[in-house]
Amino acid sequence: MMEEFSEELEPLFDYRRVQPLNVVYLDDDDFDAPSASPPKRRKISDSAVEKVDDTVKAVNVIDCGDKEEEDWLPPPPKVSLDTKLRGEDSTLRELRLKKQELASLAQSAENVMRAVEESVKKELSDSLEAVAEKPSKPRCERNKIVLSIQDKDGAKQFRIYVDDKFERLFKMYADKAKLDLKSLVFCFDGDKIGPAATPDALGMEDHDIIEVHVTSS
Amino acid sequence: MSGGIARGRLAEERKAWRKNHPHGFVAKPETLSDGTVNLMVWHCTIPGKTGTDWEGGFFPLTLHFSEDYPSKPPKCKFPPGFFHPNVYPSGTVCLSILNEDSGWRPAITVKQILVGIQDLLDQPNPADPAQTEGYHLFIQDATEYKKRVRQQAKQYPPLV
Repeated sequence: MMEEFSEELEPLFDYRRVQPLNVVYLDDDDFDAPSASPPKRRKISDSAVEKVDDTVKAVNVIDCGDKEEEDWLPPPPKVSLDTKLRGEDSTLRELRLKKQELASLAQSAENVMRAVEESVKKELSDSLEAVAEKPSKPRCERNKIVLSIQDKDGAKQFRIYVDDKFERLFKMYADKAKLDLKSLVFCFDGDKIGPAATPDALGMEDHDIIEVHVTSS
Repeated sequence: MSGGIARGRLAEERKAWRKNHPHGFVAKPETLSDGTVNLMVWHCTIPGKTGTDWEGGFFPLTLHFSEDYPSKPPKCKFPPGFFHPNVYPSGTVCLSILNEDSGWRPAITVKQILVGIQDLLDQPNPADPAQTEGYHLFIQDATEYKKRVRQQAKQYPPLV
């Protein structure tokens, strides 16, 4: 106790002497106190860093909040904002890119489909042309013609080959109309059509009218 | 030029007729002996209306188109001596729609002409007689007139 007091008193007495000692001590403390002081200092420094960080964060937050007021403020917050925006942008960009990718995929799929369709059409028409070119004469002869058979009540459409004998059509008509073929007379332009005649032979055209008359006898 | 117009119109008339015409009627341009078609003369058939004394008759009629057709109407002729109050002894039909100075309009079609003449058969116009026999019997002797009409219908049976 006494020593303590004395020690305590000492500095009071000899202030000059103490000061340099203190200075030395401080230095010494820095170097000599390995266990106690350095961690403290670190803590302090850490806390200081933390504080600094806090202040930075706070600044950031403030800056975010008062963006309009402090537009002129230093760049760091702006940078952070920019990075945020960039982050958003990048995600949006990614989405957009994906979208574009999908769209382009769909487009390419459509193109492929179109190409396939066109090629098929081409092939078809080519083959048709080929078919038409090869047996052109028989094909022309086998053309079909649409004729109406008209009675007093109206007309019915029939589709037959231009080189088909009329007897086939007449039988078909009689069956459909449930009439005796023998009682029917078929005329074209006022002339009776024989069963062996063909549309081609009579110079018939599409939608020409064949008149059918029912004879009483 | 006008001939071109007439032939063009007649070709159209024929085309339309082939696709659509009333049952029993015939109308086709004449075919000459060399096989060529003369659009200016049409050979037609007018059927007597069913339910009238004209029924059963298929009356031949010839249409003579001029180069001025369709500005002017065609001359329509039954065989000479055809029995009807409004048919001249020459066979020429006297009908208002066939009169250039009366009812003719260039828009009237061949089909309308033929249907008009079919109507005239059973509905003579006593105000415009063209032959004495038909006219007098129509005015004075309905029975005899009827008999003559039926007789004539039998004279022109269906061609087929």
